[in-house]
Amino acid sequence: MDSKRIKIISVVLALMLLVAFVPGCAAKTDETPADSGTETPEVTIKAAMVTDVGGLGDKSFNDGAYSGLQRAESELGVEIKVLESKEITDYESNIDQLANAGYSPIFAVGFLMTDTVAKMAVDFPDTQFGGVDEWFETVPANVVGLNFKEEEGSYLAGVVAGLATKDSFDSKLNKDNVIGFVGGMDIPLIQKFEAGFIAGAKSVNPDVKVISLYAGNFTDQAKGKELGYSLIEQKADVIYAAAGQVGLGTVEACKDKGALFIGVDVDQYETVANSGDVMLTSMIKRVDNAVFETIKAVVDGTFPGGTIQVFGLAEEGVGLAPFHDFETKIPQAIKDAVEKARTDITAGTITVPTAP
Amino acid sequence: MLGDIITPDLFASAFRMATPLALAAIGGTICERSGVVNIALEGIMLVGAFAGVAVTLAFGSPWLGVVAAVLAGVAIAAIHAFTSINLRSDQVVSGTAINILALGLTGFLMEIMYGHPGTTEAIITIKPVFRFATERGSGTFFGVIWNWFNTIVLSHTPIVYGAIIIAVVAQWAMYNTRWGLHLRALGEHPRAVDTVGVSVVRGRWIAVLMSGALAGLAGANLTLEQVGSFTENMTNGRGFIALAANIFGRWTPVGSYSASLLFGFFDALQIKLQIFRGEINIPPQFFLMMPYVLTVVVLAGVVGRAVGPAAVGKPYKKG
Repeated sequence: MDSKRIKIISVVLALMLLVAFVPGCAAKTDETPADSGTETPEVTIKAAMVTDVGGLGDKSFNDGAYSGLQRAESELGVEIKVLESKEITDYESNIDQLANAGYSPIFAVGFLMTDTVAKMAVDFPDTQFGGVDEWFETVPANVVGLNFKEEEGSYLAGVVAGLATKDSFDSKLNKDNVIGFVGGMDIPLIQKFEAGFIAGAKSVNPDVKVISLYAGNFTDQAKGKELGYSLIEQKADVIYAAAGQVGLGTVEACKDKGALFIGVDVDQYETVANSGDVMLTSMIKRVDNAVFETIKAVVDGTFPGGTIQVFGLAEEGVGLAPFHDFETKIPQAIKDAVEKARTDITAGTITVPTAP
Repeated sequence: MLGDIITPDLFASAFRMATPLALAAIGGTICERSGVVNIALEGIMLVGAFAGVAVTLAFGSPWLGVVAAVLAGVAIAAIHAFTSINLRSDQVVSGTAINILALGLTGFLMEIMYGHPGTTEAIITIKPVFRFATERGSGTFFGVIWNWFNTIVLSHTPIVYGAIIIAVVAQWAMYNTRWGLHLRALGEHPRAVDTVGVSVVRGRWIAVLMSGALAGLAGANLTLEQVGSFTENMTNGRGFIALAANIFGRWTPVGSYSASLLFGFFDALQIKLQIFRGEINIPPQFFLMMPYVLTVVVLAGVVGRAVGPAAVGKPYKKG
């Protein structure tokens, strides 16, 4: 083989590698302006977000934040842009790129970006930042932390699971008083879900045994399925997963061995295909509302910089999705118990723990 | 409590989790025995997993998906074979490049084909070969034996059984056939093989393509049998654990399978032990690091000597 051919082939291979990086850098822009019948604001607000490594299409909080952005585009006429992070090392360059291009507010989605946001807020004092799931010791004046009381929504999920495991409205429910929790990484954020779930279940069913298993990551679905099998082998008949894509594997285990599943972050009945017969409900986290409200505040000139905003049940920042296929099967007593818990938490008569 | 940890599912789970590792590890064994390092197993597995789901979504048959996963694995391995055998480039660099390529390529194709990255739609998975009643008189001694046997031996999907058969056949072929003799010689002394008139290039190409087929099949097991959908980077480092299993198994197919089974067992045990957090306080991370610790122990020569093929990683130039 002569050296010229080798050179050509080397160039072709190098180009193929370049292609490999394209999705990492590709920007999602939607330049089409809102269908404007109303008057457009004089200064166009350019809102942007940086996803966590899960990226768009995670059917979870990145997609949630994006739909909040899209809603702001159509309802408030702001210009929007999304940059996806493929690696943790992309955070800073993505935020830097957006800030330099004049985007403000910039939403950094995911607790892993906390330190990056704190750093970039100093470098770009005139840019406004929204940190989803981010908690700052001292909040910079141009940053708002957007947090959720996941424990409150999980408490409602726990009430449903705690009562369902004693009931027999579905053939997948057994006589053993055991329910399960699948977590992604064993970190304080996920422990909030676990703590709320356990507290909710015990509040209606003090003797219930709750088994918690952690996958150690948020992406390994095969591991999620094994965790589901192990819980079902321990006689768990309702399983709640706060584990990102790991939970999708757990849904498979529930379908395979016959157990009910409670989804997380979004209404997973809508996002996980063919899961209707196991998907009891989902604990939803309204990242879209938080993002939309923050953009709206920027448009109105009332950006709550320097504060931590916490969205709980009272603010409709968390909640429970419809029961869908189980709507008619579920006893009214369970629905009433959920409503009672919701009222009690909103009124402040119940304080939900944040650590198990 | 012990009865809740040592359950039939513990062992069944070990076999399930060992399968993708074992297939990739046997692929790595064949490849390295021919003198080519293949750290691209991770990327090949990922591409195989994606191709399997994409074809199943398009044609509705997971079996067609298995074929596609194997072919996609072969295709990606061909890049590695070409750069490392024909272009004589550094095999570790080529393998690393393929791992990065696979990560980007699958994300890119998802964007083009399905309009979004992340996770694909769910597919119908391949069902277990046998389906017997799980509980059969669990009160009697015979009933208990049957339940254990049924769960550990009879509960699996086809590729899980396939991996065991492949390990045994590859072991036999490596030590009892002309192909096996040539393969081993290629990795030890390629010039000697060349001298007797056997093509080093052809021999190594076949070995690399075989490793691609096996890693692709490992990907098919992950998506088409275990999970039922594709997620970006879902292989989660299994290709690298497979490399460790290959070394731990001392570059033999049955050794690779056994090492994978041990690693799978640790993973399964880790899950069962979590049930008793608070009572038994061994952090789950302890078991997750076991494959790597054991591999280092073997490489350090603590348990006998572990020496790879003499010519592994060295490009062969004729003449």
